Amino acid sequence: MKQQSLGEFEELVLLMVAALHDEAYGVAILESLEEKLKKKVNISAVHVALKRIEDKGFVKSRFGGITEDRGGRRKKFYIITAVGKRMLDNQYALRTSIYQQIPKMSFG
Amino acid sequence: MKSLPPKRSLQFLRWFCREDYLEEIEGDLTEVFEKQFESSPRQAKWNFARSVMKYFRPAFMKSFKNYYQPNSYGMLQNYFKIAWRNLIKKTAYSTINIFGLGLGIACCFLIFVFVQDELSYDSYHEKRDRIYRVIHGIKSTTDSTSAQSFPFWVWGNAPIGPALGNQFPEIEKVVQFSGRADILLSIEDKHYQEDGVFFMDSTAFDVFSWKLIQGDTKTALIAPYSIVLSETTAKKYFGDSDPIGKSLKGSESPGRSNPGDYTVTGVVADLPSNSHFRFNALLSMSTFKKSQPEIFDWWGYVDFYTYFLVNEKFNRAAFEQKIPSFILRAQGDTKSEYAIAIEPLKDVYLRTDAERQPGETGSLSNIYVFSIIGLFILAIAIVNFMNLSTARSMERAKEVGIRKSIGAYRSSLVFQFLGESFIIVFLSMLVAIILVFIAMPSMASFTGKVLSIQQVITWENIPIFFCALFGISIVAGSYPALALSGFAPVSVLKGIAKSNFGGVNLRRALVVFQFSLSIALIAGTIIVYTQMNHLLDKNLGFDKERMLVLDYNYDELVNRKSEALKIEMEANPAILSAAFSRSVPGSHFPNAGTEIQTADGEMKMLGQPIFQVGMDFINHFDLKLVAGRSYSREHPYDSGKSLVINEAAAKQYGYTNPADIIGKKFSQWGREGEVIGVVKDFNYISLHRNIEPLTLPFVPYASRYLSLKVKSTDMTKTIAEVGEIWSKLAPHRPFLYSFLDDDFNRQYQSDFIFRKLFTTFSCLAIFIACLGLLGLATYTAEQRTKEIGIRKVLGAEVHNIVALLSKDFIKLVIVSILISTPLSWYAMNRWLEVFAYRMEIQPWIFMLAGLAALSIAVLTISYQSLKSARMNPVSSLKSE
Repeated sequence: MKQQSLGEFEELVLLMVAALHDEAYGVAILESLEEKLKKKVNISAVHVALKRIEDKGFVKSRFGGITEDRGGRRKKFYIITAVGKRMLDNQYALRTSIYQQIPKMSFG
Repeated sequence: MKSLPPKRSLQFLRWFCREDYLEEIEGDLTEVFEKQFESSPRQAKWNFARSVMKYFRPAFMKSFKNYYQPNSYGMLQNYFKIAWRNLIKKTAYSTINIFGLGLGIACCFLIFVFVQDELSYDSYHEKRDRIYRVIHGIKSTTDSTSAQSFPFWVWGNAPIGPALGNQFPEIEKVVQFSGRADILLSIEDKHYQEDGVFFMDSTAFDVFSWKLIQGDTKTALIAPYSIVLSETTAKKYFGDSDPIGKSLKGSESPGRSNPGDYTVTGVVADLPSNSHFRFNALLSMSTFKKSQPEIFDWWGYVDFYTYFLVNEKFNRAAFEQKIPSFILRAQGDTKSEYAIAIEPLKDVYLRTDAERQPGETGSLSNIYVFSIIGLFILAIAIVNFMNLSTARSMERAKEVGIRKSIGAYRSSLVFQFLGESFIIVFLSMLVAIILVFIAMPSMASFTGKVLSIQQVITWENIPIFFCALFGISIVAGSYPALALSGFAPVSVLKGIAKSNFGGVNLRRALVVFQFSLSIALIAGTIIVYTQMNHLLDKNLGFDKERMLVLDYNYDELVNRKSEALKIEMEANPAILSAAFSRSVPGSHFPNAGTEIQTADGEMKMLGQPIFQVGMDFINHFDLKLVAGRSYSREHPYDSGKSLVINEAAAKQYGYTNPADIIGKKFSQWGREGEVIGVVKDFNYISLHRNIEPLTLPFVPYASRYLSLKVKSTDMTKTIAEVGEIWSKLAPHRPFLYSFLDDDFNRQYQSDFIFRKLFTTFSCLAIFIACLGLLGLATYTAEQRTKEIGIRKVLGAEVHNIVALLSKDFIKLVIVSILISTPLSWYAMNRWLEVFAYRMEIQPWIFMLAGLAALSIAVLTISYQSLKSARMNPVSSLKSE
């Protein structure tokens, strides 16, 4: 099914939304990802991924309060939904199960 | 320092980005920007701009369909939707509107095509602005008051051409031609009598832009007995083989050339149909000159058309001043009454009064008449549109009220209603184009013109088409638009002052206007018909019924056998009598000067047409002798020494009593003798003209026509028998026959075309007006459904209701009759002025026209009135 699929970057963003829990908004996600991945990511890529996983129902969003920063624009916070959490669990389980099938061998 | 993100990028982002995403995206972008700005402002700005560009993708863009409106596209869409719904909802009105207007436009378009074709005559000549022709006249010394108005002939003498060319340096080329000649051309077993043949100067191709397909323009017409054929004629004789250099045997062309073998030196493309004269073949003028050299120095001999090409320095006014002295010098005769004038080529089809044209001429007044009819029809159709839209204004009043109260400007409402009329006019145009395609062939056969859609759809006409589209939309739509948009929203929405809506009086005025035009056209049609019948039925003073005319074109062999032919023909029981003559009524009559002794004994020289006749001619045509006797076999000197004239000629020489001229001396074309008889006046030419003086000299053995009076029930059989006798006695001539009444009535051909077009377009005009009336009646009846219901409940009868509904319209039609009668009476009187013999316009014509219009109107309305009157009042009253 369509909502079951999740791209690589989308999965990373979803994981980060889950990890940041209540503090996940665009710039925070961007910065955490850059830190983990050790490379520059464009904010637009994050937004694209966020919109997609929101459409698929893995995250919900809400607006934060008005501040004077950010040109007076509100932050949009994302929270992972139950469906999203289950998706991450499934992905994790799938990868782990496949990983464990790798025969022990050495790469000498 | 407060840092601001780059303005342009931000504007761009705000322009395209979905509103529900903008808050977050702009905020995040700004935050990233602000953080970066501290370390490197340039980098931050660059990054910001780059990021913005990355959002420029469908997922982040707003739907321009629903959210973005820099213009009033949405409003326009709404206008279209409303217009379309109105069209669909009231199919009957829309059909009447579109179809009526379409018909009107189609008529206009057809008339436009006709007029354009008439105006395009001779415009294909490249040097048309520099071509003039000479017209010849004789100054009448007896009547000095009208020195300028003596009649001119296009047909004139030969020496004028070379004289003009020699004396005026501004004249580049002179071309003279002679015709239309009749000549029998034959090759092997193919014989054709060609009547569209001209003897043409070799300079013709330098002056006229005729396209020579084969042959050399410089040499084609130089050598005697050269012939240039038109493409069609060449096909007729030679099929697909190359005609150049081949030879055609040509008969004598009487008075012009001796028989001989013509060599084909060229093939010219068929002349465009819009040429003021056309030919099938051109013979070299040198042929004529070789056969009759003396004619070319003779100022009194009339057989030539003279056209000339001038150079740029030519000044018409200055040239005309020099003409009198030039004529004096050229002729060397101070007493000469000969005069010439010139006409530019652009005037020779429509604006010439000269007689004896080389070809056909058009009628400027017909062009005006048809243009006016076209505009009338369009006006009637536009009035329909205006009437129906204002009548329906009440339905639209609520819409206008609501639009206005939620903030519509008056201008935008005007725009809306004009737009609606534009849509309707556009649809009508499509209908019109279809109708034109259907009607074009019959229009072409009506007018005898070659008309085609292709010649109309040109680049120059496309702007005219669009101008017409906009023009008609604005004319038809402006009144409804202004009226509807002027409603005060409060009163409209409250529903008061309803009766003042939609200009009832204006609608009435428009109906009166429409019907006045229609009645005028009906009356015109009746008058045109009556006049034409008057022409056809008038007793001409000679017998033209059942008269078979054989044309053998002065053939000498036939003339030698004329007595034998006459005896053979009259031996047939179906043939009452046979007679030879040089002309027949309705054909060509040459002019001659005749001297006749007046009452006081002097010989007086006067000119008049001559009708050269053979033996028995007077009895044969049933002409009445009023004095003296006719030519007779018992008087052997008749052929040289006697003359019969008509009553008008007797009067011309001053004899009021025709008997007094009998026995007076005459001298004409070398003959001298006595006047022996006077015949009662008869109309030997069309009834456009009065009976002119005529002499009928006796020329028994140089005739052109053999006419046979037939008494037979089986005309085809008789014609076959006559054909047999003919091929027995004159096997070398083709058997060409026609009926005298047909030939005579051919003179009225342009009048018949006029009648047909006039009738057709009048009927259409009335039809369109009735369509409008039907729409209006339907609408009124609908408006008064409730009223009718109540009246019926209170006891009104069906006829009361019908009277109630029809009364208003009938009043209007009666007013229209009163208005149109004097107008059409005046206009038709003007039209009748071109006929010498005209009917009287009698009051019954207008009564009939009015009655016709009235009954058509009543029929139109009655259907609707009856329908509403017979409706069950219960159903009309219970519905809200």
